[in-house]
Amino acid sequence: MSIFSTILVYAIIPLGVIAVVAALVASGSTRARPARRYRPGRPYDFQPIWFLASPAQVSTAFGGKGASVPELPAGVIEDAAGMQVRPGPTGGASDRW
Amino acid sequence: MTVGEHEAIVSGSEQPLTALDHAGGPTLTEAPELTMSPESIAALDGPFTTRQLLRLDEALRVADQQTGLTFSVFIGDLEEPNREYAEQLHRQLDGAAKAVLIAISPNQRVLEIVTGPDARKRITDRDAKLAALSMAAAFAGGDLAGGVLAGLDQLASHAGRH
Repeated sequence: MSIFSTILVYAIIPLGVIAVVAALVASGSTRARPARRYRPGRPYDFQPIWFLASPAQVSTAFGGKGASVPELPAGVIEDAAGMQVRPGPTGGASDRW
Repeated sequence: MTVGEHEAIVSGSEQPLTALDHAGGPTLTEAPELTMSPESIAALDGPFTTRQLLRLDEALRVADQQTGLTFSVFIGDLEEPNREYAEQLHRQLDGAAKAVLIAISPNQRVLEIVTGPDARKRITDRDAKLAALSMAAAFAGGDLAGGVLAGLDQLASHAGRH
């Protein structure tokens, strides 16, 4: 083999193959995209989201028509501190992590 | 099924139009975003993947259908005092007496479950606390969607069928 064909077979062609594989790896990488997920301790800077099963049927805030029966106006009861007393006590639970 | 047919069904008219009235348009699989509301498109920019959003949607729908209560999930910052702000959000829901709100603030690491007066008879505060504990455990591991799904599942199973 001449010197030229030796260099071609043993140096240029392998280097070309390596370059093609490296280009494919770099272009297919998803690492560049920032991870869109919550990690404890890191700031969470997404817009607030409010999920409802069928927003249009439940709340007028989402463009729904609301309840079919118009709601009666509630009487206002205030306690000694001037805070409005709610008609029914809501329950639930709280937690921290 | 095309986008036009889908919109005819969900448009809310008393009698849905037939498919022939809305012939044409791209199919649902080609252009799913055409049938989505602006809120749905905004939710795609959130912390959840599309698969997680679909599972959340399914969980909320199943919980509502099985229990007859209205479940909703709020994820975002809660103003101080947290509990009062969560109850204020809860009152904004239509039929708040039968509504259950799960309010999650990842920045403050606070979780509030608010049950309306009627829902409270089905989901006691002890049941809600149990669901809150399992949700907080999942959130501490960084699994936001998994925690919400686990909490919804527990609350719905404690509420029973209607």
